[in-house]
Amino acid sequence: MNNDIAAQHPDAQGQLMAHAVDACVHCGFCLPACPTYTLLGDEMDSPRGRIVLMKSVLEGELPLLDAAPHLDRCLGCLGCVTACPSGVPYGELISGFRGWAEPQRRRPVIQRLTRSAVLTMLPRPALFRAGATVGKYAKPLAPLLPQALRAPLDLLPSAVQPAQPLPAFTPAHGPKRGRVAFLEGCAQQVLTPNFNAATVRVLSRNGIEVVVPPGQGCCGAAAMHTGARPLALQQARRNLDAFDPAGVDAILSNAAGCGAGLKEYPMLLAGEPEEGQARRLASKVQDISVYLAELSAAGGLEPFMPTTRPLRVAYHDACHLAHAQGVKAEPRALIRSIPGVELLDIPEGDLCCGSAGTYNIEQPDLAGRLGDRKARNVLSVRPDIVVSGNVGCHTQLQSHLTRLGSPVRVMHTIELLDLAYRGEL
Amino acid sequence: MTVSGPARPGAPDRAGLARDLTRLLGDGKVLSTLGERLNYRYDAIQFGATPLAVVLPESTADVVAAVRAARQAGVPIVGRGAASGLSGGAAPAQEGLVISFTRMTRLHIDPLRREARAQPGVVTLQVSEAARPHGLVYPPDPASFRTSTIGGNLGENAGGPMCFKYGVSGDYVKALEFVDADGEVHRLTRDAYDLAGLLIGSEGTLGLVTEATLRLTTPARYTRTLMSHFAEVGQAAEAVSAAIAGGAVPSKLEFMDRACVNAVEDYLQIGLPREAGAVLVVDTDGDDLETVEHELELVEQACMRACGTVRRAADEADSAALWRARRSVSPALGRIRPQRMNEDIVVPRSVLPDVVREIERLGQASGLHMVQFGHIGDGNLHPNILFDPRQDSPEAVHQLAHEVARVAIRYGGVLSGEHGIGSMKVAFMQEAVDPTTLAALWDVKRALDPGMALNPGKVLPQPEASDA
Ligand SMILES: Cc1cc2nc3c(=O)[nH]c(=O)nc-3n(C[C@H](O)[C@H](O)[C@H](O)COP(=O)(O)OP(=O)(O)OC[C@H]3O[C@@H](n4cnc5c(N)ncnc54)[C@H](O)[C@@H]3O)c2cc1C
Ligand code: SF4
Ligand code: SF4
Repeated sequence: MNNDIAAQHPDAQGQLMAHAVDACVHCGFCLPACPTYTLLGDEMDSPRGRIVLMKSVLEGELPLLDAAPHLDRCLGCLGCVTACPSGVPYGELISGFRGWAEPQRRRPVIQRLTRSAVLTMLPRPALFRAGATVGKYAKPLAPLLPQALRAPLDLLPSAVQPAQPLPAFTPAHGPKRGRVAFLEGCAQQVLTPNFNAATVRVLSRNGIEVVVPPGQGCCGAAAMHTGARPLALQQARRNLDAFDPAGVDAILSNAAGCGAGLKEYPMLLAGEPEEGQARRLASKVQDISVYLAELSAAGGLEPFMPTTRPLRVAYHDACHLAHAQGVKAEPRALIRSIPGVELLDIPEGDLCCGSAGTYNIEQPDLAGRLGDRKARNVLSVRPDIVVSGNVGCHTQLQSHLTRLGSPVRVMHTIELLDLAYRGEL
Repeated sequence: MTVSGPARPGAPDRAGLARDLTRLLGDGKVLSTLGERLNYRYDAIQFGATPLAVVLPESTADVVAAVRAARQAGVPIVGRGAASGLSGGAAPAQEGLVISFTRMTRLHIDPLRREARAQPGVVTLQVSEAARPHGLVYPPDPASFRTSTIGGNLGENAGGPMCFKYGVSGDYVKALEFVDADGEVHRLTRDAYDLAGLLIGSEGTLGLVTEATLRLTTPARYTRTLMSHFAEVGQAAEAVSAAIAGGAVPSKLEFMDRACVNAVEDYLQIGLPREAGAVLVVDTDGDDLETVEHELELVEQACMRACGTVRRAADEADSAALWRARRSVSPALGRIRPQRMNEDIVVPRSVLPDVVREIERLGQASGLHMVQFGHIGDGNLHPNILFDPRQDSPEAVHQLAHEVARVAIRYGGVLSGEHGIGSMKVAFMQEAVDPTTLAALWDVKRALDPGMALNPGKVLPQPEASDA
């Protein structure tokens, strides 16, 4: 699509955005892949429409305020990227755009407060834990609060699990087959501490040494996707210091969003002095499922115990695995390799569950409708367990399945593998 | 009066249009801010005028109300589906009202009558998906079938690979409901005067389709797929002519040239032959396996005689990958140049080898980047000119497109197989259609839309004399 964005925004981010707009031939192939278009049925809330809106704003044809409501509804799920045959890097466009637009926005006070509270708390597990504990007591008050405050409260867990800190080094069990560095993630340490514990157990059992570099922190994805670019840069730099890609086979993440966040460093740091370093780090980043699938292909995994009864396991594609990282086959192959497990695909599998980082807080209505739709789609295949590779999806699935009164268990892929090793499935 | 003028003389209240519509339809169905309206000025190929207002109707009654309000305000009306059209049909030529059907998505399958009743916003693929549990299919399959709507398909009389054996969208319409330019609702079957047939392919210039009753069929029991690649485009066309002359009736017979193959391979990476000058993908199908295999054999021999290398699809997944490749051609071309002019000519099969060679020569001589693909079994070709408006002159692009149109006409072909005339090819119509026929087309238009309110500026070129 014709544009003269680069002329008006000559920096590296401007170039990236101009390139993305350029690549779009407005064919509309992305429309059915977009959750908001699916729900709302209008062009402004479609990927193609958003591209035109951003272009119009960047070219000065349209005031930012006119475009903002539709751009704010974008989940950043990147379903459109998977669907786009022209290879439009939509993620680079929306992230770049939000980074450029946010400083110019005047948001209402409550919105500003919740945003900054979320961005402050999420990356700090201790703070988040404290917040969650307070939240637990505040929950009964929820009906009295305005919607803007109720939404973030809904997101907090009703029971805070005890912390399970990871050792800085876990040796390989048996003959050593590899060495990885592990990104702990922030919110998930509080919400679902077992994900990390299970990850380290499964890796170690398969002969992998796990290093958890001290000094690491939030990947910065939440900040980047909400337009808080300076904070995202700061968080990225911190991780660039903490991780040494040269010393390990891979840098692993078990949270789709965080893995994708690390892989986006080259885009975030385009034009910054650390760009090269960001590329080196990003090239080593893998999702836990990809690393294990490769390990399995290269010499096999330790055998799993068969399940005690036939189990129907539905796999939910987290957007940041399937769309942002292109990882679909590997987790499925791993799940299928457990004897006694039948793998099920969920209808409308490519549609986001509505979790999408802080979306539940910022767009509670759409997030709720998508969560409900996802939960019903999950139930339609009658699974015993539903598995995903992302903490956000996990929380969203859990809360909507519970609301529908369903006993289906929600797990991370790695928890399923871990339980299979322990014979507890 | 000018033909493209507003619907009614008098004092049109353009500013009040959105307000009136909101009063009639309620808030959620009317778009009026600039940010909302900007997004209804384009389709997949062209940007047009920003509409004054946009309506997202949910029922036929909403459409009626919207048409009446536009009439009152004296502004033109453009119907819009998914805006995946490739001829500028849904891009407004003038400021006016856009009626976007994307929320009219009610669909009912009647397995006993083997029909589907669909509102215009139903996405094409969904008809087939809803029919499948009943053992039925809806054959029309434009490459855009995941996105495009039934209303848009009927507007363009869309076809796809299946159309060689099974026909185009219009062949599956049993009945239509439409709203005319006055806001009256009509229900048509295909008896007596085939007025439904007239509306199909009229690109929203004669009426707005609000419901269609579509014929469903049973799927063929067996399908076999092969791919053949050739050193040169003419050979592929020779194989096509020979195979069909030899008695094969493939269910799909598609062609793509080297640039297309490479664009798709860049996108999908499924091991297509990058070096081939042209590739054919062919399906034969039917309920009798022996006949299906025999027809594939006929095609295979024709391809080999034309010096092609043949690969049969190993299984269903293999064949699905090949078809996905063909479907991705058009959009994947965006990777080569940001913009394109899409041609949609149909020529007699007997002259295909000459036509594809001549078009290839034209492209090479022009210095522009031209590629070809299409439903070659039908003689339907899509020569596409890929260009970068910052480097290539729009006049040169337009001129080359015009040359391509002339090749089609010279060889006894027509300008549009399925994507419509829209605004893109309206200028070429003057040469393609004789004046008497054109006058007859204008008579039809005047009879159904005397105020020239429906999608003005599309399909029919301004006649010099007949407009007085
Ligand atoms: C990548 C790509 C591949 C394509 N491949 C094919 C192909 O293989 N075969 C093919 O035939 N086409 C193809 N097309 C073109 C396009 O998808 C079809 O013409 C499709 O039928 C348009 O449907 P739509 O819903 O997008 O309609 P739109 O583009 O929105 O509208 C098309 C026309 O129909 C009119 N219209 C829309 N709704 C109504 C209604 N309810 N009543 C009256 N008029 C209406 C509009 O005014 C316009 O003139 C392709 C397009 C793309 C981008
Ligand atoms: S599919 Fe890609 S090229 Fe087509 S409209 Fe969407 S983003 Fe643009
Ligand atoms: S990222 Fe997701 S929500 Fe945003 S435009 Fe793309 S598909 Fe739609």
